Amino acid sequence: MGLFILQETPVGYALLKAKSSKLLKGNHFKPEDDTAENICSLLKLREFHAFDSAATALEQSAAIVEGKVTPTLAGMLDAIKDEKKASLAVADPKLASAINKLPQLSLSLISDASTADLYRSIRNHLSSLIPALVPEKINTMSLGLSHSLSRHKLKFSPDKVDTMIIQAIALLDDLDKELNIYAMRVKEWYGWHFPEMARIVNDNLAYSKIIISMGMRTNAVNADLAEILPEEIETAVKAAAEVSMGTEITPDDLDNIRGLAEQVVSFTDERAQLSSYLAARMQAVAPNLTALVGELVGARLIAHAGSLMNLAKSPASTIQILGAEKALFRALKTKHDTPKYGLIYHASLIGQATGKNKGKIARVLAAKASLGLRVDALADWSAEGEGKGDAVAEEDRNAHGVESRLKIERRLAALEGKPLRSKGVAIAPNGVSMQPGKWEVKEARKYNPDADGLAGDEPAATAPVLKKPKKEKVAGLTQLIQEVDDNGQSEASASSVTEQAKENDVDMDEAASTPEDVSPLPGSKAAKTAETTIMKQTQPSNGGLSDDEDEFISAVSDDTADSPASPTRPEKNEQSSILGTTKDAKKARKKERHERKAAMAEERSQEKEARKDRIARKPDGKERRQKKGEQKERRQERDDDQDKSLAEQAGLSVSRYKRKLERGEIKFDADGKPSAISKKEMKKAKKAAEEAGTKGRSRGSSGKRG
Amino acid sequence: MAFTPRGRGGGDRGGFRGGGDRGGFRGGRGGGDRGGRGGGRGGFGDRGGRGGARGGRGAPRGGGRGGARGGRGGAKGGAKTIIEPHRHPGVFVARGKEDMLVTKNLTPGESVYGEKRIAIESSSATLPNGSEFATGANAPPSTKTEYRVWNPFRSKLAAGILGGLDDIFIRPGAKVLYLGAASGTSVSHVADIVGPTGTVYAVEFSHRSGRDLINMATHRTNVIPIIEDARHPLRYRMLVGMVDTVFADVAQPDQARIVGLNCHLYLKVGGGVVVSVKANCIDSTAAPEAVFAREVGKMREERIKPLEQLTLEPFERDHCIVVGRYTRASS
Repeated sequence: MGLFILQETPVGYALLKAKSSKLLKGNHFKPEDDTAENICSLLKLREFHAFDSAATALEQSAAIVEGKVTPTLAGMLDAIKDEKKASLAVADPKLASAINKLPQLSLSLISDASTADLYRSIRNHLSSLIPALVPEKINTMSLGLSHSLSRHKLKFSPDKVDTMIIQAIALLDDLDKELNIYAMRVKEWYGWHFPEMARIVNDNLAYSKIIISMGMRTNAVNADLAEILPEEIETAVKAAAEVSMGTEITPDDLDNIRGLAEQVVSFTDERAQLSSYLAARMQAVAPNLTALVGELVGARLIAHAGSLMNLAKSPASTIQILGAEKALFRALKTKHDTPKYGLIYHASLIGQATGKNKGKIARVLAAKASLGLRVDALADWSAEGEGKGDAVAEEDRNAHGVESRLKIERRLAALEGKPLRSKGVAIAPNGVSMQPGKWEVKEARKYNPDADGLAGDEPAATAPVLKKPKKEKVAGLTQLIQEVDDNGQSEASASSVTEQAKENDVDMDEAASTPEDVSPLPGSKAAKTAETTIMKQTQPSNGGLSDDEDEFISAVSDDTADSPASPTRPEKNEQSSILGTTKDAKKARKKERHERKAAMAEERSQEKEARKDRIARKPDGKERRQKKGEQKERRQERDDDQDKSLAEQAGLSVSRYKRKLERGEIKFDADGKPSAISKKEMKKAKKAAEEAGTKGRSRGSSGKRG
Repeated sequence: MAFTPRGRGGGDRGGFRGGGDRGGFRGGRGGGDRGGRGGGRGGFGDRGGRGGARGGRGAPRGGGRGGARGGRGGAKGGAKTIIEPHRHPGVFVARGKEDMLVTKNLTPGESVYGEKRIAIESSSATLPNGSEFATGANAPPSTKTEYRVWNPFRSKLAAGILGGLDDIFIRPGAKVLYLGAASGTSVSHVADIVGPTGTVYAVEFSHRSGRDLINMATHRTNVIPIIEDARHPLRYRMLVGMVDTVFADVAQPDQARIVGLNCHLYLKVGGGVVVSVKANCIDSTAAPEAVFAREVGKMREERIKPLEQLTLEPFERDHCIVVGRYTRASS
């Protein structure tokens, strides 16, 4: 029966005994009683255990702060284990529960607000209660203890590991900035000597490497740049070096430029090394976060929160907008919508999402990331925890993150309604994948003619684009047209026909293009009018048609009109049909039209698929080159085919009238869609025709050659 | 005295209003890197000339210390400087070309954070033959008393003193529990004020700033550095005795609770509580005045009787200092 009070001091543990066991009950102790005499009359020192050295004091205090019972403390408490029904007041509830767990003691622990006033009083009159403690001693001891405790705390700081990550990501950003500045300086400086190279070689690293290995541009011929550049860029650089307009520089100048270039190269190497270090660290420290958002974003999040533990403590909503505080507080102040994402925006999962889904995915990702972070920060993989110590595999550690990522990907796929890119693909926030190619050299930006938009309703847009290789064809065409004019002199003026013929030429070219090209709808008004005008010419003349023309048209029909009707028409038939009345022809055409319509529809769908394929393949510079080769091959093949199909196709070409019908037919088929009659559709068709025309024309000419 | 919030210029309670000749007390250290503020400003005596824009608090000084350069503001080297005691014991005012708030350096010959020091012949702090020097290397501390300049732009307590707080509860011999000690710049001045007989328990949670704090404390034996979370005051119960004053600059949303917890454990009844409140840290959406009022209300609940509230307007934006007295008995 007795009330004991444990008081920890920097000098040692003190165990006080209350003279009345009911001291804490009711209002026995009032704050007003806070005088030295009063407290001394109420309490009596039972035990005092002084720490024998500063090291002991540190050890004991560190344990007490963490709420652990040290053997020393337990030993001192043993003194009162024989007391019956004793109760012990302890300031810290955590320590109290730890003491409660001691097996040899049967004390009832008190650590609640009732002790507050008593403890205040004890603290106030510590030196009068404990004679061994003179105030000076307390002061010196607490000073020494505070320093050693603080040092101990800093030394064994638990967030040491994430400090490395925070510093690494900061350095990475600094390096990027610095690297860019240096690289710009290199380009600016060396640009005086060899200004052309900056346009050819855009890549900073490659640029610097060239300077190091080439030096003066006069050395370009001898320099071996095969290690640095792809072949075509290398040749371009060498060619440009021959005719450069740069100023001459002295070897002294060059030495300095080279020094800077070496800095750029070494910085780049360092950056790569640092980024792999960061990746390894992130994988070790926060595997789940890394699996979800990637190393860089994960590291930035940790850096922003200050430590992994801080980040793990923050809710998902905070993680979602971490880094967008300015926008958040502005929005809160002005009562606008709060931001949807902060740093997390740069995660590849969000990069894959579009439009509104970005916000949704950011929310989901932040939620999953916060769960993953808690696993990272709090999971105990040690042998005592749920794991098997260091034997825990990487997959086990980041299982949560990988699984969550899969879930989010599925969710995203459902939202977007399209298949996603494969798992390992890094994707920038703009949705473009950042996969490294074989050559890590960025190509210099070139003029992109595709970006030149055309209004869409210039009919003769083809003429100025015609280039030298096509001259021959143009000549042939004009000849053809003249002949037409000669033979079938009619209301149609020569000029208009010429124009129309050209127009048709475009259409045909485009029609002639392989199914992988864009042109199932070569309907244009001009072409239609041409058809009509020609239809008016009741007396078609065929005799004057040159071989050239024949071939040309056959070449056209070869690809376009793979109709079921044409193969059934032998050459002779054509002759007769030409001689036949227009009515007959019309009828035949009608029939043919129907059949061809079906055929074309089928063809069109095939083309569509092919086009889809092509778009999916996304031709870039390299592929385009490759494709050009393929096209050449295909053209060759077609030329071969032409001979074979000439017979069946010729039927359509013998008669001018028929031919015109044929052309009309094609137009009609393309326009055959009910919607095609609309003006919008026409325009679209024309645009498509023009686009395709640039590609298809060359094919048309080749057809003529064959 | 009734408790009413006030700011600078509100009424005649300004700290430096006492003497009519006390104009020209400079705030900023006035170096060239201060961007012209301070140097061009009138003293606090004439309240008109104050620039509106506030400088960055504690902006790092550009290069070396201003004292060695010709272009520095403040009292010019070699100029006559007189040290006068401030209304608050332990705080002094250096009157030279411009007036500065100073504290007596506990460790003569050392600057804590690159602040300027003024050495005065030791026997005659009031004699007008004081000379100021920058590094103090040539001055034997035995013969001279050294004062350190206290920049109100870096220390909220200094700003409060300049703003004219009635009582800061920090005086020689006092024991102060300083929550939110940061790198120890203000703590060093508080340590100067309380002197060797007093004690400053400096609590700081951040390890990074704690490093600097420990370094500062190694030279000042009356500072007890504690690297702990002030939210858990029991964790430093072994180190801290009963204190006369709690100063808090923790800038946390729950700072009133933090202050309350610490007061209940360590503050003597009737002890002073000085709390710096940053409105943005507590509620960035509400008006600062409303935030201050709410904080004062919370402090009342913690049995701290508010005595005065002062905005730190020219030095800090949307900050205020609330001074109270701890009354443990429930009101």
